[in-house]
Amino acid sequence: MGGKVSLRYVSAVPISSLPKPVPMELLTPRKRLAFTGQGGDLFAVLIVNWLLTFITLGLYYPWAKARRLQYMYEHSELDSHPFHFHGTGKEMFKGFIKAVGLFVVIYAVFFGLVMVQELWAIVVGYLFFMGAFIGLIPLIIHGSYRYRMSRSSWRGIHFGYRGQLKELYAICIRDGLLTLITFGIYGAWFQMNLRNYVVSNIRFGNSQFAYKGDGLDFFLMNLKGYFLSIFTLGIYSFWWQRDIFAYYVNNLSWNFSDGRRIQFKSTATGGGFFELIIVNFFLVVFTFGIGLAWAHVRMMKFVMENIEMAGDADLDAIVQTELEHKSATADELGDLLDVDIFL
Amino acid sequence: MSIRYVANFYDGLTSKPQEAFVQLREPGSLEVEVDGDRFFWPLEHGGMEWERTATTLRITFGEHPRKVIIIRDKLFIATFVKRMQYAGRRGVYDRTLSLARQGPALFFLALVAIVVVGYVWVLPFSAERLAMLLPTQVDERIGDASYGSIMLGLDEDTEASAVLQQFGDRLELSDKFDLRFHYVNSDQVNAFAMPGGDIVVFSGIVQGMDRPEQLAALLAHEATHVDERHSTRMIVRQMAGYLFLSLLVGDVNAVVGVLAENADNLRNMSYSRGLETDADQHGMERMAAAGVDPEGMVHLLEQLDREAGDMPEALAFLSSHPLTEERIAKARARVPELPATGQADPELARLFEALKARAEEELPVQVPAE
Repeated sequence: MGGKVSLRYVSAVPISSLPKPVPMELLTPRKRLAFTGQGGDLFAVLIVNWLLTFITLGLYYPWAKARRLQYMYEHSELDSHPFHFHGTGKEMFKGFIKAVGLFVVIYAVFFGLVMVQELWAIVVGYLFFMGAFIGLIPLIIHGSYRYRMSRSSWRGIHFGYRGQLKELYAICIRDGLLTLITFGIYGAWFQMNLRNYVVSNIRFGNSQFAYKGDGLDFFLMNLKGYFLSIFTLGIYSFWWQRDIFAYYVNNLSWNFSDGRRIQFKSTATGGGFFELIIVNFFLVVFTFGIGLAWAHVRMMKFVMENIEMAGDADLDAIVQTELEHKSATADELGDLLDVDIFL
Repeated sequence: MSIRYVANFYDGLTSKPQEAFVQLREPGSLEVEVDGDRFFWPLEHGGMEWERTATTLRITFGEHPRKVIIIRDKLFIATFVKRMQYAGRRGVYDRTLSLARQGPALFFLALVAIVVVGYVWVLPFSAERLAMLLPTQVDERIGDASYGSIMLGLDEDTEASAVLQQFGDRLELSDKFDLRFHYVNSDQVNAFAMPGGDIVVFSGIVQGMDRPEQLAALLAHEATHVDERHSTRMIVRQMAGYLFLSLLVGDVNAVVGVLAENADNLRNMSYSRGLETDADQHGMERMAAAGVDPEGMVHLLEQLDREAGDMPEALAFLSSHPLTEERIAKARARVPELPATGQADPELARLFEALKARAEEELPVQVPAE
């Protein structure tokens, strides 16, 4: 198998020790992800979560979330090996307390200013309130990724997020302003820049992910989806959904330290989305939410089964690098806010 | 000699899965054989953790990066879990989860029953208790906070308000709160009370009155809202209801959330109608205590009923129209139960006439000489 071969000695090297050509089947996209959860099992997890959250007046929520995530991860498999979520309710509870404290401060300042009952104070109060929440978004994204990635593993190897908060703020402020002055049109570029930055900073051991989205492509795709959905009275929206999903998956790659990579590819169809969304809608609405667990499982299966992977990278050769992953505890803030912004 | 089981082993250094053989060794260790090497993992060691899902058992050991073993053999899982539970306690969570797994339908129905009982009985009871624990200053704060903005759009007649104040003071309607009466020029047939003691009466409602007992009944009704702290109780109940529902449907989707919210609004509406009847009934007691004929309440309600009759059909359906009849019947039934009142207070009549004249002719109020 492929050791490094210096060009000068190529002729002196026996043919058998040259890098073997990559077997074709590795380059052909194939399904390697699977979701093995079952509606009934997830229902049991959710209902117990719900009960404990309810009788503790919501305080159990972080633990409930940990249980749910553990179930979802444990039943998500890559090459038949499950993922694992290491987060605990206790950690997330700390984030919960921090976030509650932060909100209390924001609300206190807001009400304090409004109570003055003068125009300037009310205006300042509202601006502060909106500013505080908008200003927190990058922090939430950063915190969520740091926390969630450090608590995720596969085959004992941890994920990690290496993005810098300062850079994330720079992107959000610059693109946020551009989006504002272009009346939202720049939003497509904003979304892509954000995704490119965040996803490309995800590490898995010594391998890393990369996302290469283009604002213009994304904008045109959404423009087309938007107008066709209107003209077809919403029917096209399932195909629009397919395009968005494909845009997210097809621009994602997984790069290994030896230069090899795995490219992701979507096989989802508009008809598939149509069936998924319509059936899930009925599953949830006509059961007053009881069918949520089954709907969730259907969605996970759909997503996992519609992502194919192509590439010759050796998934056995990933080396653990996130040795100090425990230091990420300081950033759980985001997780509480429960923004499952996983792009 | 126990049997060896096949497991997946990850060494925490690379992603390469290795085949391992595991077996439980007494006393208290797990033997792991990987690639010809043997390790013994003490079961009681703080560094050993295990988790079981429906199909797999995951055991981790050591400092980060931890070594991981995943076993799927049912028999091994059962033996291992039994061994560990014998050593340690079984958590509330695991017990509840296995209950939920064994009889999901029954478990679910039991929960529904608990929720219904909580919502119908426990919630209102505890909300009322909580509201009563709040100091009366809370009412005053809530009232003060909204007083300015509410009065901003209204045309208060301060001279008439002073007369109304005299009228109200004679009735001594509240011992908990300082009642402040406000008279407002408006065609609307309306009156309302704010928590903490501000009571607003519209000239439109006074116009339709023909005797002082009706005005006394109106003030007694509104004073009951203030004195019995209906707004605060309502707010606490609504907040409790909201909290309850957001806990209930917190993880469920928006559609169910909207349904639940509407159901809760209906419940709040029926509660607020209950409060109106309460204010009628207790207002009548206050009237009797002040020496005013409680039948005035019946006359007041009849007057309101007549004036509401002018409303378009569609609106009447939404309003409390049929409910007014019910309130009238209840008020009428209450009259004979209350102690008889003596001579009517002539001062009340004089003040009432002054306000009435003011309402009808919009002339400056004439306060009759004592």
